[in-house]
Amino acid sequence: MPLELLLILVVGGISAIALLLHLTGRSTPRVMNDAQARQAWLRQFPESPIADLTLARDGHAALIQPADAAAPLGLVWSFGADSVARFLQEAELSPCTQGLRLRLHDFSAPQVLLHLTKPEIEDWQALISGQAINLPHAKEV
Amino acid sequence: MDPLSFPDVTQLAVPIFIAAILGEFLWIALKGRGGRYETRDAVTSLIMGAGSVASGILLGFIAWGFFMLLWEITPLDLGTSVWVIILCFVLDDLRYYWVHRFGHRIRWVWASHVNHHSSQHYNLTTALRQTWTGTFTFMMVVRAPLVLLGFHPALVLFVGGINLVYQFWIHTEAIGKMPRWFEAVMNTPSHHRAHHGRNPRYLDCNYAGVFIIWDKMFGTFVPEQDHDPVDYGLVYNIGSFNPLRVAFHEWVAIFRDMTQPGLSLKQRMLYALAPPGYSHDGSRDTSETIKAKHLARSPKDVGTPGF
Repeated sequence: MPLELLLILVVGGISAIALLLHLTGRSTPRVMNDAQARQAWLRQFPESPIADLTLARDGHAALIQPADAAAPLGLVWSFGADSVARFLQEAELSPCTQGLRLRLHDFSAPQVLLHLTKPEIEDWQALISGQAINLPHAKEV
Repeated sequence: MDPLSFPDVTQLAVPIFIAAILGEFLWIALKGRGGRYETRDAVTSLIMGAGSVASGILLGFIAWGFFMLLWEITPLDLGTSVWVIILCFVLDDLRYYWVHRFGHRIRWVWASHVNHHSSQHYNLTTALRQTWTGTFTFMMVVRAPLVLLGFHPALVLFVGGINLVYQFWIHTEAIGKMPRWFEAVMNTPSHHRAHHGRNPRYLDCNYAGVFIIWDKMFGTFVPEQDHDPVDYGLVYNIGSFNPLRVAFHEWVAIFRDMTQPGLSLKQRMLYALAPPGYSHDGSRDTSETIKAKHLARSPKDVGTPGF
């Protein structure tokens, strides 16, 4: 097959499929409730039970306090229609217009953008920086 | 100049790939079952596929040069009769089984293959989420015996291409089970779904390309279990749709592990060559420890397929 034709097919095919998926609503990130966030965490870390879970208001992320008090906080977040989870032992936190940006020093999951309300930003910042745990809205699961 | 040439079936199949993906998506959308699609996941898979073809065009000369060197050496020439092509196809499928098994059991090779398992979806786009770095695994040496036995390099690559094209259609949830005789001999969507599972039961099973008989012969066959639905993706899922990160994340991880201070030479080598999950201090899990920990939590699974 001529290279030019192959290129047209590949670029055209990818573009058409991307457009079709987007226009039919396949780009919406997963929204989790408490139980789903808990399940998503345990799916990744079945040996790390949860003591407390703080779900973001938009349902796209949850902060995890593991039952093992010595373990670092964890984060589970929507990744397309699915989820990814990480412990936050080396995370760097910085505020941004949408909420908070977490840099994870992990080549396979470099950063997470958390869309948070203003009160949430303060709570999550405090939780992640270790200044406070067990805030009133943190739910036991 | 060697005049023997065969068509590049992988490139020729591109229009069929695109049409089949659209067909599968429409089926899922209309029926409301049979799989899931997500825009960024699918686009990443498709870009990985395009990159894999580009990688083949750019780096293919290395494997080709190696095979032609062997072809110069070997005194054997089996020709290109129909029976020779069929025999080559079957032997190449055996070659595929072992390369695929190495791809899951040797981290250096896993670093190349991991991207194929990095989607949490399982649809026809996942089939195209192929490696960009296969040349660097040196798994071309596993094809050497075929060339030395007298199969022309062009024929060996031709049947390898057919093997890959066959595997495209088995990356789907839209097909449940094929007829019993077919499931017994051939690799099918059901068998390959199990291969893509991150459930402890399905780790390191069903390496077959076309014929599932290799897994049955070498003890790696695990049938898909209705009571244990396949959870697709990696044991430790990645959090990026960036194709560069998908393609290179495990290579970066190997480099970081090997260059840690305070390791012996053996430990550094094991970070590249031991099965994925090896760690010098035992702090990580391999397939074996994941299965063992699962059985400790769920003793009822002892002795069931995959355990």
